Amino acid sequence: MSKRACVTGAYQGLGRAIAQQLHDQGYAVTTIDRSRMDVDTPFDHHTTDLANRAQVDALIDVLARQEPFDMLVFNAGISATGKFEEIDPEAHARVLEVNAVAPISLCAALMGRTRIAQGARICFVSSLSHFTGYPGAASYGASKDAVAVYANSVRKKWRQANDVSVTTAYPGPLRTEHAARHAPEGAKADKRMAPQQAAELILNDVASGKPVSLPGGGAKLFAFAGRLMPALVTNVMRRVIYDKLNRNVED
Amino acid sequence: MSKRRKIVITGATAGIGLALVQRLHARHDIMAVGRKPSEEAADLLPEGTRYVRADHADPAGCAQAIAQGLLKAGWLKLDNAVLNAGIGQVVDDAIEPVDLVRQTLDTNLTAPVLIARALFPWLSKANGTLTLVGSVAHKGQALFPTYAASKAGLNGLARALRAEWAGSVTVQAVHPGPTKTEMHAKAGYDPGRAGALFIGADKMAAMLESAMANGRSPQSLAFVRAWSSVSQMTARLR
Repeated sequence: MSKRACVTGAYQGLGRAIAQQLHDQGYAVTTIDRSRMDVDTPFDHHTTDLANRAQVDALIDVLARQEPFDMLVFNAGISATGKFEEIDPEAHARVLEVNAVAPISLCAALMGRTRIAQGARICFVSSLSHFTGYPGAASYGASKDAVAVYANSVRKKWRQANDVSVTTAYPGPLRTEHAARHAPEGAKADKRMAPQQAAELILNDVASGKPVSLPGGGAKLFAFAGRLMPALVTNVMRRVIYDKLNRNVED
Repeated sequence: MSKRRKIVITGATAGIGLALVQRLHARHDIMAVGRKPSEEAADLLPEGTRYVRADHADPAGCAQAIAQGLLKAGWLKLDNAVLNAGIGQVVDDAIEPVDLVRQTLDTNLTAPVLIARALFPWLSKANGTLTLVGSVAHKGQALFPTYAASKAGLNGLARALRAEWAGSVTVQAVHPGPTKTEMHAKAGYDPGRAGALFIGADKMAAMLESAMANGRSPQSLAFVRAWSSVSQMTARLR
């Protein structure tokens, strides 16, 4: 029987690349996204809006009746960019729900119902902004810090109890539709890493059970600079991102 | 003469929040926010303290209720907002029930995000200070993983908003260490003999006032600091 993987936010971008690569590695892949998948994809797809608690509960009930997962990648994420005080409160709440509440709920529920196999690999996709701050996407930054620290909190306990590893991935901007929508106008996409490459680097780290995955030299350098001089790097982010945002994008 | 400030404090009917109200109410105008019924809150709070009943479990409704409280009181600006309300629950094996995950993140993270947004017009008029009360657990804690996550979220919110609102509103995250409050009992945690090392809520409130006055972020408020620095304990909001 092939090993089972679960990937959230798998319709496009990084999640799609991760799901595809896991499929290529021989995993039976369960995908979750609010968008429907094309019928010819090789995934067991669940159309679920992670912002909707009733839908998440229903998804948990379905997954709880299936075999345990050997690999889980909590990747689904949305953002709301612009001036914090001008963004619709509902958009802020939705960002926190999809990026923090849903992955933590799903993971805790599957763990609580022993649907995460002995020796399984879990990955939470956070953001490079964890090492600085993210002016222009404050609720997004908050949500990504929350999942990063959730992962850090459970890691040791779950390793000891079930030999489960928990990796926190901190990708920088990728060449995805998500990044294009939330970047300032005129930002260059060709400098961003391709999602396929990020997926490969992250999955390597997850497979070997590393606690931290910083995909690429740029991400490693940025994280180092952010740890060294968080205020300075955050101010640079304010200049290159926040001051250039000329519109609010809520979702 | 120090000026009389207008200050909103959430989670004001117990623990650090209540100690802060008691410390500040004689010198400043306080609007206390809590989820207890008004009559119960009136027994706890110093006389004359304004009270807004708002439940953080409903983040949007809570932010609205506080804004309405400010309008009703006729406050046109706000010098300080201390978002201190928080809940936590200790679990075994770092596995939490889904309801607890949701309640904790709603109360400790989503509610402060929406309250901060709602209070911006008032705070910016006064060039005020927004103080987000985190926890030293914000780097991770297996006893209450989602609580730690929520406090990390507040830290991230503070880093972003501090840059966004620079020159208009000072934003800070402060991270109290273990404090003698009812929270540990509520959370199902018995600190045992280590409890003797916890700081009293009144001392924590003093450190919090000093942090509000200096505006730095992030700051850990732990007992080492209390005992090593008298100035920390005596600094006043002016």
